[in-house]
Amino acid sequence: MSAQETKEKQRQEEAPEAAPQQPGGKPGASRGPSLAWKLGRYLTMPVFLVLVCVGLYLGISSRDLDSIEQRSLSGGYIIQKVVEHLQITVVATVLVVLISVTAGVLLTRSSMRRVSPYIVAVASTGQALPSIGVIVLIAVVFGQFGFKIAVLSLIIYAFLPILRNTMVGIQQVDRSIIEAGRGMGMTNTAVLFKIELPLAIPIMLAGIRTALIIVVGTAALATFINAGGMGDIINSGIKLNKSTILITGSVLTAVLALSVDYIAGIAEDILKPKGL
Amino acid sequence: MNDAAENQNGREATIRLEKLSKEFPGQEEPAVKELSMEIYEGEIVVLVGPSGCGKTTTMKMINRIIEPSSGRIYISGEDVTDKNPDELRRHIGYVIQQIGLFPHMTIADNIATVPKMLGWDKERVSKRVDELLETVHLPNSYRDRYPKELSGGQRQRIGVARAMAADPPIMLMDEPFGAVDPITRERLQDEFLRLQQEILQKTIVFVTHDIDEAIKLGDRIAILRDQSEIAQYDTPETILTDPADEYVEDFIGSGASLKRLSLSKVEDIKTAEWPVAKLTDGHDSVRRKMEQSGKDYVLLLDEREKPKRWVSLSDVEHDSIPLKEAGWPAVAIVEANSSLYDTLDTMITSYRGSAVVVDDNGGYKGVVDFETVLTSIEEMRPQEGHQAPGYIADREDLPS
Amino acid sequence: MSFIEYLTYTWDDLLETGIGHMVAVLISLGIATVIGITFGVLTYRRPAASQVALAVASTILTIPSFALFGLAIGIGLGLGYAPTIVVLSAYAILAILRNTITGLRSVDPAITESAKGMGMSDWQQLTRIELPMAWPVIMAGIRVSALLILGIATIAAYVGGPGFGEDIFTGLSTLGSVNSVNLVLSGMLGVMVLALLFEVLFTILGRFTTSKGLN
Repeated sequence: MSAQETKEKQRQEEAPEAAPQQPGGKPGASRGPSLAWKLGRYLTMPVFLVLVCVGLYLGISSRDLDSIEQRSLSGGYIIQKVVEHLQITVVATVLVVLISVTAGVLLTRSSMRRVSPYIVAVASTGQALPSIGVIVLIAVVFGQFGFKIAVLSLIIYAFLPILRNTMVGIQQVDRSIIEAGRGMGMTNTAVLFKIELPLAIPIMLAGIRTALIIVVGTAALATFINAGGMGDIINSGIKLNKSTILITGSVLTAVLALSVDYIAGIAEDILKPKGL
Repeated sequence: MNDAAENQNGREATIRLEKLSKEFPGQEEPAVKELSMEIYEGEIVVLVGPSGCGKTTTMKMINRIIEPSSGRIYISGEDVTDKNPDELRRHIGYVIQQIGLFPHMTIADNIATVPKMLGWDKERVSKRVDELLETVHLPNSYRDRYPKELSGGQRQRIGVARAMAADPPIMLMDEPFGAVDPITRERLQDEFLRLQQEILQKTIVFVTHDIDEAIKLGDRIAILRDQSEIAQYDTPETILTDPADEYVEDFIGSGASLKRLSLSKVEDIKTAEWPVAKLTDGHDSVRRKMEQSGKDYVLLLDEREKPKRWVSLSDVEHDSIPLKEAGWPAVAIVEANSSLYDTLDTMITSYRGSAVVVDDNGGYKGVVDFETVLTSIEEMRPQEGHQAPGYIADREDLPS
Repeated sequence: MSFIEYLTYTWDDLLETGIGHMVAVLISLGIATVIGITFGVLTYRRPAASQVALAVASTILTIPSFALFGLAIGIGLGLGYAPTIVVLSAYAILAILRNTITGLRSVDPAITESAKGMGMSDWQQLTRIELPMAWPVIMAGIRVSALLILGIATIAAYVGGPGFGEDIFTGLSTLGSVNSVNLVLSGMLGVMVLALLFEVLFTILGRFTTSKGLN
């Protein structure tokens, strides 16, 4: 189970705090979060990230950097690494979402009903696979490094958790609603596209967000198979034993991951169908 | 209005609430507004009122589960408003509607909770658990079971047993019998009354929204309006026969007089004289008895004096039909300690509008018919200084 | 050499590695459990505080593991055991904290009220009623965390930490050699075996420590 998966579960289970019920007497006027409060919550992360970046920048620029550090910490180099990282992330995420969701839908059809619990179980246990293990294994088995191998291994790594999420999400759709649809004369396909998928969207959005977070985090390890990305900066920091590079690489990677998570969260909130 | 309290000949109230108020944040009106009342030792005081009137809040202020916004609470003369609440609560029994048994502890451990907190030694605790299980009529084997294995009614009993474990002088009960079916509830109520009379004699504050339960269980009832304002605080008899205002009348609902009947027992009224004979007697002797008494029917008993059949003159005219098949079976039978209400209920469905009264063993005691009941109801009508017969007898501590 | 053959030669080394891996995980889990439960207990009754605590823990979890390792080293913890334990503990906190809060809050209010009505102090309520009842949920959280850091611990090897990561990275650096695939496979197998072991351990532990009256 990946770190991001754990976090996703928490997010899904955390319900908004309800106004406390008064015992005995009439229910008090419920005070929902005010607009200022909501805005504050949305702005906390970006403000935090900006502060961190500013702090980092100030910290680095106040020091005297030797030539190695200057090269590794130049704006151009960093931007190149960010771009590489995002390229891997986007490609892998799009592909894994397509594959997992399709597989998830197919595996939850009634013909697969008997098999699906086992598949979910296998998918759950498969999550114990270490990310670095999968990356290295694929590379070693195929005998090559590079962008394509990185994307492939990320897809394989993220496949099982997203599959599981999708399957569980589709299975969670209230059976009685489906029955109502069938009762109205809808075909299986109609039920799938008009009822199940739309109702499973919140779960799937969460799954996509999870995929994004898993991939952006694991892509940091792409450095080990020469696929570039932010991991390169961290790695050079370790190999060269320069804490400036190390800290910068680590902080920026973290900032990148947190930003992607944040944006995905906003997107999820916007795209979630109202009424659900 | 509160005459009952003042007639206590200077007796100290066990629980005295002085201008208790409770305001919840975010609410315009206080939930409880300056409530003052006195509760005396050994009585069951029932707080009744509509949902939201604050009765539960009031009760919960007594043991300060809910802290009052203002006002003072006195228990046995001591001001406990600011006392350490945990200390206070260990000497007050507390039973709530959802019971709240600890699911991860055995029944024995549940019951033993407060005694252990008070430092009783193991042996004493164990004995007490055995005692209490017996008192609430549950087998001793239940000690090591878990709450999830018990039925709703059994859990309720354990809840009460747990509250009584440290033998607190005061008990607070919030709709304790609410969460079970009506049949179980009636049984629990009867057992509870018996318990209080024979063993406990505790001071009990009982909250319910059910006026019938209040009438059945309460020594005194406080009918509450919104914000726990007292509409009437008196004995059930007085409330039924002399409601203070329209609100109280509405609350009692229709059938107040019939409810009154549920407070009297059939053994307290005079039964009619009726000719009886034994199944083993001859037809002749039965005919003679009928003639002598001037009544049209005779009641036949078996060797153990249990009423068996009614026979009329025509039924026993011919000796050919044996007595035990003559006439019709006596089915309208009530026990002596049944309420008049239940007796009337039985009588209405009987063949002849009469019911046979029997004792604990089923042995014949007398017969009641509509005439006798109507006569007693007449005598119950409230008159100046007049006490209705019978019902006061069990409740010695009540003010007169 | 086939994988099976490889295993027969190296199983004792693998065992040793496995123990090292497990020890690191267990220590981190222990630290995280203490921190997670403590903060869970401190904040479960206060919605604002618990939200902050959960937000902090979940932010940590969003940070890629490699980056967190880098940060730990960069701020001076050096290589080897220290950053490994710090990072693994940090990751393990969230699930435990979240489950402690959820578990404690899920106790039926009627039960806590009757406990309070009997005169139990807040501390007594917590230790005698709420924690025992929340324990299955808390244990589930510890379990989740355990599996999580079992995987992440493989990266620790790169920075001098113990565990199966070493086999994986060695396999990587000897790419093309006879045993590189076997090395990586054995590392992954080791992690899977430990995962299974933990599952079994937790199931047994759960049964022993949960009251029969629950579930």
